[in-house]
Parts: sequence; C-alpha cells; structure tokens
Amino acid sequence: MLARIAQELFWLGRDLTRAEQTARMLDGAFHADVAGGEGSAGARRSGIALSWNGVLAVIGAKPPAPGEEVAEVAVAGSASLAPAGPLGRREIAPLLTLDTESPASVVSCVYRARERARTLRDVISAEMWEALNAFYLSLSRYDLEAALATGPYSVYQEVKERCALFWGLLEKTMLRDEARSFLNAGGRIEEADMVLRMLRVAVPVAEEPAAVGSPPQTHESEALSLLHAVGGFQAFRRHLRRAPTLESVSSFLLYESQYPGSVLAAFEYLREALETADPAPRSAPPVLRLGRLIADLELQQRTAVRPERLFQILVSVQDELEVIDREIDERYFTVAATVAAFRLEHPRPNDRHSR
Amino acid sequence: MVIGQIPTLSWPRMPTDLLTDGYLIPEGCCDELLEHGGEPRAHVAALVETLRRMGPTALQEAGRRRDAIFMQQGITFEVAGTDGARRDRPFPLDLVPRVLTAAEWRVIKRGLAQRIRALNAFVDDVYHGREIVRAGVVPWSLIVSRPSFARPVHGIRAPGGVYAHVSGCDLVRGGDGGWRVLEDNVRTPSGISYVLENRLAMTRLMPELFAGQRVRAVEHYPSLLLEALQAVAPAPEGEPTVVLWTPGPLNGAYFEHAFLAREMGIELVEASDLVVRDSVCYMRTTAGLRRVHTIYRRLDDDFIDPLEFRADSVLGVPGLVRAYRAGAVAIANAIGTGVADDKAIYHYVPEMIRFYLSEEPILENVPTYLLSDERARGRVLDRLHELVIKPTSESGGKGVFIGPQASAAELAAEARVIQAHPDRFIAQELVHLSTAPTETSDGRLAPRHVDLRPFAVFGEELRIVPGGLTRVALKEGSMIVNSSQGGGSKDTWVLDDGELTEPLQAGVAAREPPKLPDVRFGGWHGQAQQQQ
Repeated sequence: MLARIAQELFWLGRDLTRAEQTARMLDGAFHADVAGGEGSAGARRSGIALSWNGVLAVIGAKPPAPGEEVAEVAVAGSASLAPAGPLGRREIAPLLTLDTESPASVVSCVYRARERARTLRDVISAEMWEALNAFYLSLSRYDLEAALATGPYSVYQEVKERCALFWGLLEKTMLRDEARSFLNAGGRIEEADMVLRMLRVAVPVAEEPAAVGSPPQTHESEALSLLHAVGGFQAFRRHLRRAPTLESVSSFLLYESQYPGSVLAAFEYLREALETADPAPRSAPPVLRLGRLIADLELQQRTAVRPERLFQILVSVQDELEVIDREIDERYFTVAATVAAFRLEHPRPNDRHSR
Repeated sequence: MVIGQIPTLSWPRMPTDLLTDGYLIPEGCCDELLEHGGEPRAHVAALVETLRRMGPTALQEAGRRRDAIFMQQGITFEVAGTDGARRDRPFPLDLVPRVLTAAEWRVIKRGLAQRIRALNAFVDDVYHGREIVRAGVVPWSLIVSRPSFARPVHGIRAPGGVYAHVSGCDLVRGGDGGWRVLEDNVRTPSGISYVLENRLAMTRLMPELFAGQRVRAVEHYPSLLLEALQAVAPAPEGEPTVVLWTPGPLNGAYFEHAFLAREMGIELVEASDLVVRDSVCYMRTTAGLRRVHTIYRRLDDDFIDPLEFRADSVLGVPGLVRAYRAGAVAIANAIGTGVADDKAIYHYVPEMIRFYLSEEPILENVPTYLLSDERARGRVLDRLHELVIKPTSESGGKGVFIGPQASAAELAAEARVIQAHPDRFIAQELVHLSTAPTETSDGRLAPRHVDLRPFAVFGEELRIVPGGLTRVALKEGSMIVNSSQGGGSKDTWVLDDGELTEPLQAGVAAREPPKLPDVRFGGWHGQAQQQQ
C-alpha cells in the first residue's frame, strides 16, 4: 500500500480518536467542575486531576491570551458570576471544543479527519465516509456555541456517538487488510497517548513533601472524574467493586488489559494492528519495542508498584511511546529525506529520543 | 399576597419577570427560596438572579431537553393513565433546585443521625431484651400487633448490631420555618437514584445555575453504600460478595435497583438466582454456586422466605432466614426492621431517643394521636376537619385523608371508618408544608409544596448524603408529594461554607500540571503546515 495512504489512514484514526478523547475529557472536567461543587475549588487546591489548567496541559494547548478569547465568551454570561481566579469552563471549554483556529479543538480534529477521509474514499468503505461526512456536516450545521453554552453535554454526546458509529462501521464493513490496520493503529496509539497524558496530569509528583509525609489520600472525587473522563466508570466498578481511589484508578487505566480503554489494552491492539500491517513484523523496530513495553507493563502490574513510583513510570512509558511513534513514522511513512529536512528546520524538544 | 404588587428595591424589574408575576405563597406556609416580600433569601440571591435572566423560554427549552434525555436514558416512572393503561413517563424533575444552607444542614444531619440511632436501638431491643417495654415507654401489645413485627427473627442479632443500614426520613418545614419529621423509612426507602440522577441532569441541563455556587457533592453515595454493605458482611477472609436483590423488572423501583447495582458494580439478583444450602446462601453463576455474604434486598419481609413468612410468596428464597439465623449471610435492611417505621410506633420515637440515647430530640415529630386511645379518638373526631388521617401500615401516600380539603360527606364517611377500625389509623396535625418555586407549563414559576427525604447509610458508622430527595407536589395546593400520586422532585443543594472541607495542604496548593510533550499533528498533506 502507498506510504501516503497509510499515513493518512493512520492520522485519520488519530484525529478521530483525539476528538473523542478530548470530548470525553471535557465532559468529565465539566462535570467535575459543576457537580463536584468543591470539585473545582478542591481540584485547584490539591492541584489534582481535571482542573481546567490540567485539561489544557493534557491537550498541550496554550491558554487564550488575556483579553481576546475571554472577553468574547464572557458576553454570553454575566461576568460578575464567572468564577474568579484562573481560567475556568467559560473560556476553556469553547476553546477546546469549537475554536477552529486552535488545531487541538474537537472541531479541528473532526475537520482534519474529514479532509483526510475525502482523499481516502476509495480505501475506506462508503458507509464510513458517509458517517464521517455527516459528522462534519452536523458540526457545521447547528449552532455549537449556543449548544455549548446551554448544555455542553449534548455536544460531547454527539461527538462520542458519531465516533462510535465510525469505528462500528469499520468493524462491520471494512476489509481486514493493511488499510484497516493503519486506521486502527492510529486510533489506538492516540488513545494510549491521551490516557497517559491524563494520568500524568492527575498523578502527583512523588518528590512533593505532602505526598511523602502525609497519610495517603484517596482523592476519590478526582479519581471519579478521571474515570468519567475516559468513560470507564462502570467497567472499573464491575472489575474492582471498591471505591475508586486515585491509586486504584491509575493502575486500572494503566495496566488493566481487560478494560479496552487502558493503556496496556491500547498497546496490545496497536501491536496486533502493526503485526497485521507489517510484512515482516519480527524485524520491525516499533513492533519489537512495543512488545518489550507491553512485557514491562505486565511485569509491573504483577509486582506491586509503590504509588510514589507511578509518576516516574508514566513518564518513562510515554517517552517510550514517543520513540515507537517515531519508529512507526520511519518504518512505514517516511520518505526519509523530507523528514530530515523538516527536522533541521524545526528542531523539537523530544528529538532527544532519536538515536 | 401578590408579590408582584410589592415594589422591590433591591433589583431592577425585568420585562419578563419569571418569578414575581403572581407568585403567591399560600397562607401559613413559608417558602424555601423567597421571603414573604418576594425577594430571594440571601443564600439564593445569585441563583434567583440567574433564573430571572434565563426567563420562561429558556426554562421551557431546558424542560424539553430534560424530558428527551430522561426518556432516552430510561429514567422513567410508570403511571396508570385515566384509561387504566400503564405507561412510562419521564421522571418529573423540576428545574429549580431547592437550596439548604450549611448551617441548616448541620442541624438536620445531627437530628437524623440521632433519630436513626434510636430507631436502630429500638429494633435491637424489640427482638432481644425489650427493655423499652419493661420500662413502660412503648406498650408491647402495640409492638406485636404491628404487621411488620417479625416473630421469626426473635433473638437474632444482626452483624455489628446494625439493622437499619439504609434509611430515609421524610422531613417537612412548617409555617414557622422549623423542621419536623413526618415519617421514618427504615425498610426499603427508595429515591436515592433520583437524587443522583437529578444532580447529573441538572449539571447537564442547567450548568449556568451552578456558576459561583459551592454545592456539596452527592455522587459518592454508591461508594458509601457498598462500603457499609461490605462492612457488615460475615466474611473474615477475602472480599465479601454483595448482591442487590430485586423483586424483578415489574417492580416500580426497578430502575433504582438496576441503577444502584450498576453504580456499585455488584450483581442484581432475583430470587431464582439465590439458593440456600446447609444454612449458607449462594448465587447460581456460570462457574457454579458462589457464596453470597451480604444481600441488599429491595423487597418486604413478607416475601423473602416462604418457609418463615408468607408461604405463597414466589419471590422468596426458601431457607434464607435459616441462613440469616446462622449468621452466614447479612441482610440489609435486617429482617423485622419494619416494626420501627410503623406509623403507630412513630409516635414514640422522641421517647425512644430519650430512652436509648439520653438526649433530647433535635428534630421534632409532627403532633400525632393514636386512635386506639379512646379519649384521643374522641378529640380527633371532633376536630376531623382540621387533621390528617393516615393508615398505619400503608406507604406511598396511599389512603391519606386530609381533613381541611374534605367535604362534609367525606368527613362523615372517614369518621365511620375510624370508629370501625381505630387501631388502623393515626391522626396528625396538618403541617403547612413549605413551598418552593416550581416551573409550570407556561415556563413561569409558582409555589408548590415540598418535603425532604435525606438518606442515611449505616455500616461501620452513620453517613448521611448532603441534601436528599426533595419531592414536590406538582398540583397547585396539593400537599401529597409522592411520585405515585403525581409528585415530582427537585435537585437539592446543600451549600458548602468551607467548614467541612479538608484544610489546605501546604506544598500541594501551588502545584501546576506537569509539562507534557506537545501533541503531534501529522499526516502526509498537512505535515508542513501543521507541525509545530
């Protein structure tokens, strides 16, 4: 299959999954903010989980410069009622949902996915294309800004449903071939990456004095919002039958291969997809590295990980995932010269991993 | 008094004023959100302001979305139509929340905890030493004549001495603004699922109402309940197996059963799933029989074991009481708990509190008269047009007779019924239930009567979820709030004054989210433009 097609499929999967994960996370953050009551204040106080700043950090988006976005949004509601202090839901939810200027917003992700699908209409099934195109059209048709102001839940619900429709149609209508593997690989690597990012924001750094000296805190409401933000609440409950603590939720989301949204499960799906796509998987660096990473995670799951090490583990898993990402690029998509030239022009902070 | 006629100085008048158009607080009642002058109480000023700004149209629009969401999620209530056919309708959630201050809630919470401890001690006493009877506080003849008195559990001590694991008391606020207990529910009180779903729905439908408020969370209830059920399980080793026992999908509260089982991640079982062998209770699984340690049952004593209670019950598990007696299974709420929430026993609860806890009751009863007493009966019959008559062993608002709303013929008929079976009824003074602004079909707000049912969970310790279920009589002037009788509900907020939250921890406060690597943007076409 053409490298260009493979890469577009891979990124179609990534963009769509990113849209869905972002929507879920915003929904979770929104709920934690509104329903937690003390949630927003509490999250800010303990610096944990889905504070709005945390959401921004996950997406890696820049907060709007004071004055521009904020002023525009504040017109809708009364400025006097807006929560004081750092940026809140009034600014960040629209920024990450609707803003076509911001490449990280849900809408931008869907637009990009649709643009890619347009060039892939001969590869993906017609039903998949129609589902995605209808998704795109529905986003541009109704007044998202008003919908977001009155009830963001319905907006995020729509995103989740439309994404599920696309992946469901893939299962039902697409040939089990290379193309499907790249699409799946993109979806899964993005899923793992997003969950890792959320965990990194939620899990406190071990060196902090409070985390060492004070009795272990359960952070139940933060753990709950983390679960809601990936849609894993019910799965967690059925699996563990225990009140969610930050520790149990983190290891569930990282290690529990029975839960399809966990990092480990996403890695396993990713490996399966790459093994199908690669003509010689036994000598493919990303597949080999992924195998080692999966084995590492399985080992950690079986040997109790001390909570204070968790943060470090998350960092190293994500570093490793970046290398895998790079290796996927190099093995399947890269016309080496283009990328090399590009890198010279735009050195990136994570280049330290390339060997 | 028509509030619209009274000039309010504090805020400017809006062209479409949602609240003040003809908002008329009934005589002798107090309102939860508004003062008699029509101004909002201090703690809800911001809320009322937001509602006013929204106006009737936005409220109606939110109402339509609410009904659609509830129907889609299957949060419905089955009602019999006029033609007798039963159909689902969306659970009527009113979009205007009911708000309690932190100080007010502290009193309610203490009063409830006290009351539930006393009720629990009473159940233990009734089936063991009967000290309260020997002390002459509650007559034994009254206790044994209660239909819910369970002879088969005499002498059985529930694990941890807890009988009323889950309870809900119905509170009302009278015209003087004081709280009173109208009824205790220590059998299988329902409604907690609506508390949780109401809050979820409100955050989705009306997020703007929460702006600038600190409302205490309720979503941890399933965790509290599961912990309590695990705490009383007779299982020293490993993790106890807890199940929720439902009478089946035809039960009116089946939604709640399924909801709680889902939220707790436990099995939702029916009688045919449970079996007792050698005084041990098991459930039938694909991997064979599996031991059950705690059963959270949502059906009445009468039906749980055909060997001990009603022999014609097909919903029961034969031998369950035997297993219970052997201490092999915990049942929540314990068998025989119902004796404590009988409407005739209710009269004695303040005495129970004094007797068992040596404390003065924090929450008062509504003045109640037992009609089996001849002199009291005479006085009640003279004042029948002023009183409320309730059958002692009914629930759900069935058979409640409200004197002031009855015609002369109805009064005469009720008097005859009372004289025929005086021990089946109690009489209570009419409480002028407080009102709260409630949406009407045209999007305006009107006062409707409300009560409050907070929920308590008793495992290792007694925990009460902030707020509870506010039920509201949707018919104008009606004081019957039961959902089976056309009642709705409101989201109930307990404001957080900061006193109950954990103190700031030094060192953690300033933590910023860690710096993560940038997200990647890629693809063949867009690479050069989009990568950063």
